[in-house]
Amino acid sequence: MTEEAIGDVSVQRRRATIGGGPAQLGLFVILIGFWIFFSSLAPGFLSSFNLFNLGREVARDIVIGFAQMVVLATGGMNLAVGSIGVCAVMTAGTLMQTFALPVPLALAGALLLGALLGWLNGFAIVRSGVNSFVITLASANLFSGAMLILTRAVPLNALPPEVGAFGRLKLAGSVSPLLVIALVIGAALFVLYRYSTLGRRILAAGANPRAAAMSGVPVNRVIVISHTLSGLLAAVAGMMVVARLGAAMPAVGGEEWLLPSFLGPVLGGTLLSGGAVSVIGTVLGAALVTTLRSGLLVLQIGSYWLQLFLGLILLLAVLIDRYRGLYAERMRVVRSS
Amino acid sequence: MTVLRRLLLVEWSGLALAIAVGVVVLALISPNFLTEFNLYVMLRSFCVGLLVGFAQMVTLGVGQMNIAVGAIGGLVAIAFGGIMEKLGVPIILAVPVALLIGAGGGLINGLLTVRTGINGFIITLATASAFTGINFGITQSIPFYKMPAPLVAFGERHIGIFPYLLVAPLIVAAVLSLFFARTVPGRQLLAFGGNAQAAELSGIARGKVVVLAHVLSGTLAAIAAVLAVAQLGSAQPTIGADWLLLSFAAPIIGGAALTGGYISVLGTMFAVVLIALIENGLVLAKVDPYWVQFLLGALILAAVGLNRWRAVTAGAG
Repeated sequence: MTEEAIGDVSVQRRRATIGGGPAQLGLFVILIGFWIFFSSLAPGFLSSFNLFNLGREVARDIVIGFAQMVVLATGGMNLAVGSIGVCAVMTAGTLMQTFALPVPLALAGALLLGALLGWLNGFAIVRSGVNSFVITLASANLFSGAMLILTRAVPLNALPPEVGAFGRLKLAGSVSPLLVIALVIGAALFVLYRYSTLGRRILAAGANPRAAAMSGVPVNRVIVISHTLSGLLAAVAGMMVVARLGAAMPAVGGEEWLLPSFLGPVLGGTLLSGGAVSVIGTVLGAALVTTLRSGLLVLQIGSYWLQLFLGLILLLAVLIDRYRGLYAERMRVVRSS
Repeated sequence: MTVLRRLLLVEWSGLALAIAVGVVVLALISPNFLTEFNLYVMLRSFCVGLLVGFAQMVTLGVGQMNIAVGAIGGLVAIAFGGIMEKLGVPIILAVPVALLIGAGGGLINGLLTVRTGINGFIITLATASAFTGINFGITQSIPFYKMPAPLVAFGERHIGIFPYLLVAPLIVAAVLSLFFARTVPGRQLLAFGGNAQAAELSGIARGKVVVLAHVLSGTLAAIAAVLAVAQLGSAQPTIGADWLLLSFAAPIIGGAALTGGYISVLGTMFAVVLIALIENGLVLAKVDPYWVQFLLGALILAAVGLNRWRAVTAGAG
């Protein structure tokens, strides 16, 4: 196979995966399957109460997945998604409750902090040349530690009533506005990666940093931008939790978001090695995770076994993805020979 | 080259200095620091911590990572406690079973990583979730409390400031030093971690070393879990839940190269001593326990920075 042919495959694959390809279609079918399974066993699954709750949780999981996806696109990872999320949560709570700032101002402050912490991650990674795993492992603990020291882990539950009211708001019967926000963010990311120069540059830098640098892509800047975006998205997910709980809890986020943040994008076909993302896949992956969580709860299997299922599903997903890739390659070789 | 510069180039010198300063400062500010009981408590927490650090160190050595160290620890802890309490298995039999479970968990990680060629991070993230799920599914988060008296005694007894427990990590440290310095598989492991391609070209089988590292990692996590059960006097399902940061902090602060190929048993030991000292100091100074997390994060960054500086300096000189 020539170099050109290999390049051709990766471009084709990337085009397919930003939107939807066979992997996403398969995921969609599995998702529908689980919905039929759960709703036939437990009619309560399709009640408007459960659907509304499901929508709010999916919204959060989608945005957490996006926060990881934008960094995976560059071939890095961000272990600090949960820490940045909880820092944003407590910042918003403090600004609203202690400083009595108006809600929009407090939200803006929290989102700004998220972006700033993400920028710090990106800056440290680019400057030190150390891999993103270690930098974000360290920074995750710095951020969470600083938050706990400053807030003394006291929950803030005297927030303005509008916050909780927004979380309880229902559009068209049982749709949460949070879900709409998550999907709008998804649409924006889709446009970013498919149609904008910046998005193409991010993917190019993730696929092959040296080749990208030689073609004039400012690789370092692209990495810093991706981490800033990741921090911002983590903060958005934090705000969704604040709206749902109507309070700022220091126990949300943290390591609990680690697995979901990878589950969504990886199930959806985003490559860990960078250079390929799937926005729709991440949405479907997050939906699958939330569906399972909610379904097991409705079936009263209990949350104890949930982690086992999630782990096995992640394993299965990466294995299928691996063998599908190998199979596609073999077919290509057969055809070209 | 100044003396200070030369000293800093030795990987554990900075740690030894930090420990010395820490001991002097703590002895001056707190009269309780140098009491026999306090030193004993510190050494006890050192035992489990060191094995957790070693469990990650061996995977870092081969250029891999094991997110499932804590999950394997938790599963082993409840299996170990469970078979003793519910099935009445004697300790002498339960310990090998516990180590086998740990090794088995590592084997699964290693085989999955090698056979699929998927990044070890995502494999062990998935298996970590699965192992934790089995742990909580079996126990429903309820600990096993009735541990055999000799085990609990082993966890509590001490000679002066030295807990009996300390025997295990010291033996393991000696064995690991020998393994990496003098045995063929140990050298192969590091050679592969240093340059996988060169190692494969010189006839080292990729599958074998990666699986070996993961099996070792699982076994070390299992030893840590058994010690944790002895120390706590009960098999808690939450054992291992907070090992992730510590497992990376100890070897990295101890000077292990993240890219693989270089580890330091002595450095990791010094790092765990330093971490135990910081935790103890914060308790004695009655500072928020949250500072531990913050300081560990800062220490990792400092260590990574120092390692880079050392690499650059060594490269230039």
